[in-house]
Amino acid sequence: MNDLIQDLQSPVADAGTGFVRVGMPVSRVDGRAKVTGEARYAAEHPAHDLAYGVVVGSTIARGSIAGFRLREALAVPGVVEIITHENRPRMRSFDLFYKDMTAPAGAPFRPLYDGEIHFSGQPVALVVAETFEAARYAASLVAVDYLPQQHETNLMAHLARSHKPKPLKAGFSPPPDERGDAEAALLAAPVRIEAEYYSGVEHHNPLELFASTVIRGEDGHLTIYDKTQSSQNSRWYVSRVFGLGKDKVTVRNPYVGGAFGSGLRPQYQLPLAVMAALQLRRSVRVVLTRQQMFSLGHRPETLQRIKLGADHDGRLRAIVHEAVAETSRYEDYVEVVVNWSGQLYACDNVKLLYRLVALDQSSPMDMRAPGAAHGVHALEVAMDELAWALRLDPLELRLRNYAEQDQMKGLPFSSKALRDCYEQGARRFGWARRPLAPRSMRAGSELVGWGMATGTWDAMQMFARAGAVLHADGRLVVSSAATDIGTGTYTAMCTLAADALGLRLEQVMFQLGDSTLPVAPIEGGSSHVATVGSAVAGVCEKLRKRLFRMARRLDNSPFAKARFDEVEFAGGGLRLRRQPSVAMSVEEVMAAAGEARLEEKYLMLPKVLKQKQYLRATHSAVFCEVRVDEAFGTVRVTRVVSAVAAGRIISAKTARSQVSGAVVWGISQALHEETHADHRLGRFMNHNLAEYHVTVNADVGDIDVIFVDEDDRIVSAIGAKGVGEIGIVGVAAAVCNAIFHATGRRVRSTPMTPEKVMAPEGDVSVSAAL
Amino acid sequence: MSQTIRFLLDGREVQVTGLPPTTTLLDWLREHAGRSGTKEGCAEGDCGACTVVLADAHEGRLRWQAINACIRFLPTVHGKALFTVESLRAADGALHPAQRAMVDCHGSQCGFCTPGFVMSLFGLYQTQAQPDDSALADALSGNLCRCTGYRPILAAGRQMYALPAPQSTHLPPPAWRDDPAAEADLLARLAALDDGAALRIDHPAGHYLAPRSAADFARQYAEAPHATILAGGTDVGLWVTKQLKPLPLLLHTGAVREFAHVGEYQDARGTWLEIGAAVSLEAAFAALLREYPEATELYRRFASRPIRNSGTLCGNVANGSPIGDSMPALIAVGAEVVLRRGEQLRSLPLEALYLDYRKKDLAAGEFVQAVRIPRRPAQPGFVFRAWKIAKRHDQDISAVFAGFALRLEDGIVADARLAYGGMAGIPRRAAGAEAALRGRALDAATVAGARAALANDFQPLSDMRATAGYRLQVAQNLLTRLQLELQGQFPTRIHDEESRRAAV
Ligand SMILES: Cc1cc2nc3c(=O)[nH]c(=O)nc-3n(C[C@H](O)[C@H](O)[C@H](O)COP(=O)(O)OP(=O)(O)OC[C@H]3O[C@@H](n4cnc5c(N)ncnc54)[C@H](O)[C@@H]3O)c2cc1C
Ligand code: FES
Ligand code: FES
Repeated sequence: MNDLIQDLQSPVADAGTGFVRVGMPVSRVDGRAKVTGEARYAAEHPAHDLAYGVVVGSTIARGSIAGFRLREALAVPGVVEIITHENRPRMRSFDLFYKDMTAPAGAPFRPLYDGEIHFSGQPVALVVAETFEAARYAASLVAVDYLPQQHETNLMAHLARSHKPKPLKAGFSPPPDERGDAEAALLAAPVRIEAEYYSGVEHHNPLELFASTVIRGEDGHLTIYDKTQSSQNSRWYVSRVFGLGKDKVTVRNPYVGGAFGSGLRPQYQLPLAVMAALQLRRSVRVVLTRQQMFSLGHRPETLQRIKLGADHDGRLRAIVHEAVAETSRYEDYVEVVVNWSGQLYACDNVKLLYRLVALDQSSPMDMRAPGAAHGVHALEVAMDELAWALRLDPLELRLRNYAEQDQMKGLPFSSKALRDCYEQGARRFGWARRPLAPRSMRAGSELVGWGMATGTWDAMQMFARAGAVLHADGRLVVSSAATDIGTGTYTAMCTLAADALGLRLEQVMFQLGDSTLPVAPIEGGSSHVATVGSAVAGVCEKLRKRLFRMARRLDNSPFAKARFDEVEFAGGGLRLRRQPSVAMSVEEVMAAAGEARLEEKYLMLPKVLKQKQYLRATHSAVFCEVRVDEAFGTVRVTRVVSAVAAGRIISAKTARSQVSGAVVWGISQALHEETHADHRLGRFMNHNLAEYHVTVNADVGDIDVIFVDEDDRIVSAIGAKGVGEIGIVGVAAAVCNAIFHATGRRVRSTPMTPEKVMAPEGDVSVSAAL
Repeated sequence: MSQTIRFLLDGREVQVTGLPPTTTLLDWLREHAGRSGTKEGCAEGDCGACTVVLADAHEGRLRWQAINACIRFLPTVHGKALFTVESLRAADGALHPAQRAMVDCHGSQCGFCTPGFVMSLFGLYQTQAQPDDSALADALSGNLCRCTGYRPILAAGRQMYALPAPQSTHLPPPAWRDDPAAEADLLARLAALDDGAALRIDHPAGHYLAPRSAADFARQYAEAPHATILAGGTDVGLWVTKQLKPLPLLLHTGAVREFAHVGEYQDARGTWLEIGAAVSLEAAFAALLREYPEATELYRRFASRPIRNSGTLCGNVANGSPIGDSMPALIAVGAEVVLRRGEQLRSLPLEALYLDYRKKDLAAGEFVQAVRIPRRPAQPGFVFRAWKIAKRHDQDISAVFAGFALRLEDGIVADARLAYGGMAGIPRRAAGAEAALRGRALDAATVAGARAALANDFQPLSDMRATAGYRLQVAQNLLTRLQLELQGQFPTRIHDEESRRAAV
């Protein structure tokens, strides 16, 4: 379906915005909808006769449910039903039906399927009432009797029972086999460092609460507004779990209030809301609380050990990088933590190891730059430790080990402007003036330190379809079931399409966020612009050709003798490149040809064979300044320069905003974010925004983002790679390295809280044989 | 007595009846009034997605306040004018400068925080002409954004003042336009709302009383000592939204005329500022900072602007949390509380109010009518400091809070009052450390003695925020910091620029 879906609320740029080109700093087309409060999110779609569901979560981490005491809750005026595993509607039993498009290996959690408890906070009941207040109050009265079993939630206490993970997850590749002989090369290396790095659990905490509004039509059709990174993933899941045909369910997500990976998989409020709608035969809304958002999945707690061996001149002889992370008992959640260490620097002897420990937790989930955020962090802190052991400038160490090609398979990079990142970033930051020794700079009562790190992330592309309809009045509607979680998809796609056809931005509407639109991948992994953007470029190219052919066939056509490559699309229509005054507007062509609408479809398949011959990645160099007050251990990040090589930039404003926002995520990872567990109870404790800290505006100093020139037509037809994740990678390491430079203290676990910064040196063993 | 909640929304009167008194303003807006522009991100005052702006009449003019709708009970907006993000755009679609600047500066990604930021910016726009960067950051201190990294939003805050004035006809001009005539219409509508009656709500889920006079309030509380006193609700609101506690009877301080004032009180010992039970933290701090500008950092880092607009100083003191921020500073300067039960009044030094963890010297039916703060001592040699140590700069609960007041005579410590929060079950003075300072020159040796004494004064606890060891070390380092500062070695902290200027 490519034509306008009337109630989808797709935004259009303000009248008067005018002509745009790819790469220009265009204001968001959805800006007006957002600043006026008109953009409706999953919990905000009205429905006639709407019932409200409130989730009750398990208070134990492992065991089973012995029974419910519901009398008091059912007696609350307005309560309609309390759904539990005992009275839920029919759902499929087979595990496979619960696997969404990004599920890892294992048997996915089945909400309210049975009485087994797999993690604390697991939904055990849904209270449905006529008002939200009644449902919430009744939920507090639901009493559950459990048969608890001894739970295990502490990674550090169960390292001994780690296992080799099953690698089955889209986008995951297990660590490659050992290259050379890393341990032997390490022993032979004249300079060695070895250290352990710890990163705690983090939660995505998008600002929007997870919510689903299920609107039941008179014919029983379900239109579901869901907070998800893919309407089609949620639609597929609902269809399979409840055995509902594709035509019985539509999922929409036109506006998503952030997700950062938490919306890659359908979350439990979705099946719960559907269950209630099916059982009660009416529309239902379920919104989670901030507290419940801590039971959805998280960045896994991870322990890493890195050993580096080098020559006196700094050339790497050996890299050993091992990681142990947690997963749930029911799935092997995997992410790429250690592989980066085999690809970022030139080194002949590399050993990489990645293992999991199954705990009584919900499955971890991809969270912005999954695996790399802490995996590259550990490597980049270790590199800084090595640089100091060598008394070598940390940037110089990176340059001496620059990888000109992929280290694992010997493939060339599709493009790699990391050297430019180093050079331009260092220049902007003033890195050359950095004294080598720690504790060399001071301002007032604070110590000042400068640190840097490298960042890298994959440049991926999926397949997608796009449809387009050009109307006689010059309006263009382009469609794909893509998602905009805040990344700027609407704006980037409108810009691409407007540029392709030479239209004003306000003439173009991009429809996304509806499962009935042409197929698009889940928005994740920074591949959306490269993927959907290439599909949009493809469909626009078809339109251009058709318009041109139409124009040429007109009686007395000014283009009668022109070839396609002799015309350009600009100024609202097509014209001769060499003689721009020979022009026809889109409206004129359509009118003259007597066409009311032109429709095209396009299937974009990545050029896999070609892509496989290259290593495709984005890169960055991050430089940062911190100020540390040693009396209290408080750290301020006063300045960050992030130089990014991410292919061609489609929309300068949204791309810059993605990276500077991600830099702030890096600061947050470095200084603030950690979910603490009480292992006696097996549950997270700081499950609110008062105590799960994210950066506030006062924490953010100057952030300077540089995009170095890159244009990569191997990754995508439009030259773009993607900027969603690269901005966070390496930032925490740069902060850690700057803290070392300021204080001489190495903090090897994140977040680097005031306590840790104040603690005396030596929290983890370090050997530096000089 | 009136059972109807009446207030203005976009200048037009709205009447609400039949809802439980603990219905939050946010739930009313989103689920009952169909205004879903105001968002919910936490329902506990932490994220600012729910920010709306209230206006009421204050000393003949409009007073504008951004507040958190998620923890504000609907009956407390009775008699006020409410503006939400839907209120700002003009009829022809023209955006308000705060909105326009957010679009132009790319202050929005996912957009979920955006209405809250827009309303905080609108609140600032209405109250302050050309704020500097630190005032801007403060106005946005209650808003979290998970996407943009804040820089573009701060840029929007600067830019909105350069844009043409708003065109919406139902928005009165900002206070700094100083155009009373243009405010007259809304003021008249506000006045028309007030029929002098007290609001009283009786609902199966609970009752709500908002007496108009101190005598009524005192009598009603003495008669129903089991009532929950509701001041700004920045603590009480969370009991409902997070703990799901039923509150059968609420007694609201906000409508009591006498409680709304910052006054002066004189006795044989001198002149005091008297902060009434309904005075917001924002207004209380404004008065406090005129006497003790060194408390600027305390003010800036106390919660956030919208919490300070709703919350009261008396509520902070009465709640008496061991990590409440105002008490150590108030104890250091020698503040007192005025307690009232029926017609009986007594006053106590603030530190005497706190007996033990969550235990106060308050009889049944007795409440805090006011906090009295001595005016700044005239003699030279008076030194005051208030320091908050927390993991995050803004919007964080203190690991340690210290309030220090010293009198120096010829370089000798003549008197010292050192009060700490976060170090014990109640905010408390450090008697041993005080003794170690008194009568001595404030040099390194004296401070070493006080540091050692501090280890006997307190046995702090370890929790998620900090370990006992860190707390003690930081508490000690604050004494060293005091000494260094008095020697002229000033630290550089974000908000110290002003405090320092004030302190010199
Ligand atoms: C996001 C957020 C951030 C916060 N940050 C801080 C912070 O940085 N520092 C800090 O110290 N606090 C902080 N607080 C706590 C809170 O804002 C303060 O304690 C505030 O001063 C409470 O005032 P209130 O008027 O809102 O009190 P309410 O919530 O109305 O009442 C608080 C308690 O005091 C009682 N009470 C109120 N008035 C009286 C009275 N006159 N006599 C007797 N009892 C009374 C109430 O019954 C209740 O038990 C924060 C709260 C939130 C939600
Ligand atoms: S919803 Fe987060 S502060 Fe109100
Ligand atoms: S734009 Fe997403 S939280 Fe601010």
